[in-house]
Amino acid sequence: MQTKILLDEEEMPKRWYNVLADLLSPLDPPLHPATQKPVGPEDLSAIFPMELIRQEMSPDRYIDIPAEVLEVLSLWRPSPLYRAKRLERHLKTPAKIYYKWEGVSPAGSHKPNTSVPQAYYNMKAGVERIATETGAGQWGSALAFATMLYDLQCTIYMVRSSYTQKPYRKSMMQVWGAECIPSPSTKTKSGQVVLAKDPETPGSLGIAISEAVEDAATHKDTNYALGSVLNHVCLHQTVIGQECREQLAKVDEYPDVVIGCVGGGSNFAGISFPFAGDKMSGKHKDVDLIGVEPASCPTLTKGLYAYDFGDVAGLTPLLKMFTLGHDFVPPSIHAGGLRYHGDSPIVSKLVHEGVMRAVAYHQSEVFEAAQTFARTEGIIVAPETSHAVKAAIDQALECRKTGEAKTILFNCSGHGNFDMTAYDAFYAKKLVDYEYPAELIKQSLARLPKIP
Amino acid sequence: MHRIGFVVNPVAGLGGTVGLKGTDGVITEALRRGAVPSANERAISALKYIHGNDITFLTCSGLMGETALQKAGIFCFSIVYNSPVGSTTADDTRRACRLFLDEHVDLVLFCGGDGTARDVYDTVGSKVPMLGIPAGVKMYSAVFAIDPKSVAAVLENAGSLMTREAEILDIDEQSYRKGILSTRLYGIARVAALEEYVQTAKHVIEEKDEERAKNEIANFITEVMLPDTTYIIGAGTTTESIVHKLGLRKTLLGVDVVRNRLLLVNDADERALLATLNNDADSRIIVSPIGAQGFIFGRGTQQISAEVIRKVGLSNIIIVATPAKCADTPLLYVDTGDPELDAQFPDSVQVITGYRIAQRKKISK
Ligand SMILES: Cc1ncc(COP(=O)(O)O)c(C=O)c1O
Repeated sequence: MQTKILLDEEEMPKRWYNVLADLLSPLDPPLHPATQKPVGPEDLSAIFPMELIRQEMSPDRYIDIPAEVLEVLSLWRPSPLYRAKRLERHLKTPAKIYYKWEGVSPAGSHKPNTSVPQAYYNMKAGVERIATETGAGQWGSALAFATMLYDLQCTIYMVRSSYTQKPYRKSMMQVWGAECIPSPSTKTKSGQVVLAKDPETPGSLGIAISEAVEDAATHKDTNYALGSVLNHVCLHQTVIGQECREQLAKVDEYPDVVIGCVGGGSNFAGISFPFAGDKMSGKHKDVDLIGVEPASCPTLTKGLYAYDFGDVAGLTPLLKMFTLGHDFVPPSIHAGGLRYHGDSPIVSKLVHEGVMRAVAYHQSEVFEAAQTFARTEGIIVAPETSHAVKAAIDQALECRKTGEAKTILFNCSGHGNFDMTAYDAFYAKKLVDYEYPAELIKQSLARLPKIP
Repeated sequence: MHRIGFVVNPVAGLGGTVGLKGTDGVITEALRRGAVPSANERAISALKYIHGNDITFLTCSGLMGETALQKAGIFCFSIVYNSPVGSTTADDTRRACRLFLDEHVDLVLFCGGDGTARDVYDTVGSKVPMLGIPAGVKMYSAVFAIDPKSVAAVLENAGSLMTREAEILDIDEQSYRKGILSTRLYGIARVAALEEYVQTAKHVIEEKDEERAKNEIANFITEVMLPDTTYIIGAGTTTESIVHKLGLRKTLLGVDVVRNRLLLVNDADERALLATLNNDADSRIIVSPIGAQGFIFGRGTQQISAEVIRKVGLSNIIIVATPAKCADTPLLYVDTGDPELDAQFPDSVQVITGYRIAQRKKISK
């Protein structure tokens, strides 16, 4: 039985898979925040390069990856697929557990899969600087790495609670030549408004996005880049799922269950969209696609499927997605990258239509699972990733009960080497099991301010 | 130089060793049964960790303070209260505390149980922070140090202390001896606490964080309060902040009833609560855990009785607490006096801790 299933460099996917081509019905379009009319390419051109806008709206099933991008991706791709033999043995499960290890990238997560093409297209368009936000710091460091490759300047608004929790993430950004600012900051109007209301705020992805978008929109030479949520970001991540399908085929497998944690949805999209395509086309109708989120920010399991802003200040287009409300500031859990009020519109639609489903877990149980994983497979995963680990373990334990030998695939989206304060808190029994009071909110939903 | 008022209740805990729950009014009986006073031993075990030389103690003569200090090797003290010859009473504790206040102490350190905490609180109130060395039979109030060592740590930092709110509970002695825990919120003191340094220096519990948290909780609860619904709102400062947000006055130590953002009943007793529930309107109970054990429901004199809880329904209980309070109380405690009802409580409950933020907490029954 093989432990690592590897692909040769030539076997790397040369095209991104665009799931939009296979959706059962078209995606609801993003709406302009002022007019509430569908946004056109020109509306987005102030902050995105045209090629990314094209990809955002493309109907084509496959989009070629530029050779210059492939060359960079080959630094760590194809990434290994592991059979988690030791974990299986530990769980005494008949299930077969496979995990895709995305922690091998320079930044330590799946994020460079999209930061590299995004920086590349911006460079091609003659942009000089990119502004972005980062939650846990994974995206910020990934974009810092990519912009360095193409000689672009990079300004990163980092959610304040992560900025203090994870000092080494900002050190990485510095090594790669980017500027990292704790958000909310006084550099933008959006940040000033939030700070005036609440100077002690831990910040949130929603606030940091407002700051970065404002920075890009108010500087001519500057564009904006988003690390998740948007269609083109999910598109770039599909190299993950395509590789997995190839790798599993090498050992004559096809997954029964595909799992990924969900912040904005990009790593889950990356691993699951190729399989979702198979599911919708009827080729593999029964594959179970599971997104995993924190109980404190349960967008897919407890949110509303509606149009909402992508950010706190209401600067972004309105997206049809599962949302907890753009003004929701999730509690400071250690999985900073999962603290987002909304979700990818494609993932949202697929969950809404039952092609995918979602589960939510509390903080201490996912760290328990991460510990089990570290003590069997060795890898210390990021707090975000621990959510996927927990769901995979639960699936495997379910198999032990039923005796089924399911093939479980999960995305091991990143390492936790810079998240040791979170593990320290776990061992000090200081992890708080935050949750979202969905019932109370639902009872009074009719009287809540309407989400536009 | 930090000035610490120090008083020992020499007979605290006397009843406990001989199977009497509490000591009030049963001292002679306890001594007859062979009880040996141990409060001074407890005090010494805490005092002996104190090495700081910029602390002055103001204390009482003999067993009410002087003896313990001397035995712990502390000689920098002055006696401001002359203890009576023979047995001491609650009045002696109160008089000593009054003199401490006159001497502008930074903190009152006492050794005793819940009864002593009440006596100290009667005089000191929330004017000066207090801290208890546990030596009583009952220690449900939230003013006691976790262990003897932490007392020394707090005293040595007395100049730059953080304080937090701490509930003083009134436990009915007579029913307690019959095995019935009958709790009532007696007052809210300020207790001296150390900054809790965690890795990221983030978990510092500050008064302003507490106020901010209460404000968030109040914002959220008032936002999700439903029309034509009866809200029974329990005692404490967290629930008080909710009622204040509605622009109404709260009975800090009692239970109020609110409907449609109007105050229906002020300081309601059980009968009044049952009366307001005698219509078909939906109802909710909003409570906050109190005391060191994190009571959400204690039995006996508690106005929110088992019958009231049954009428409202377990699924209609909203528990609120600040994050600091949650951190201090790992378990919540339910003892409604009705074992059947207690058993119906789930193993864990949701506690609202901020704006659209909750925590899951385990319940101990
Ligand atoms: C390691 C890791 N996994 C997952 C995520 C969640 O993001 P997404 O849902 O876009 O994959 C993040 C985001 O920061 C991350 O750093």
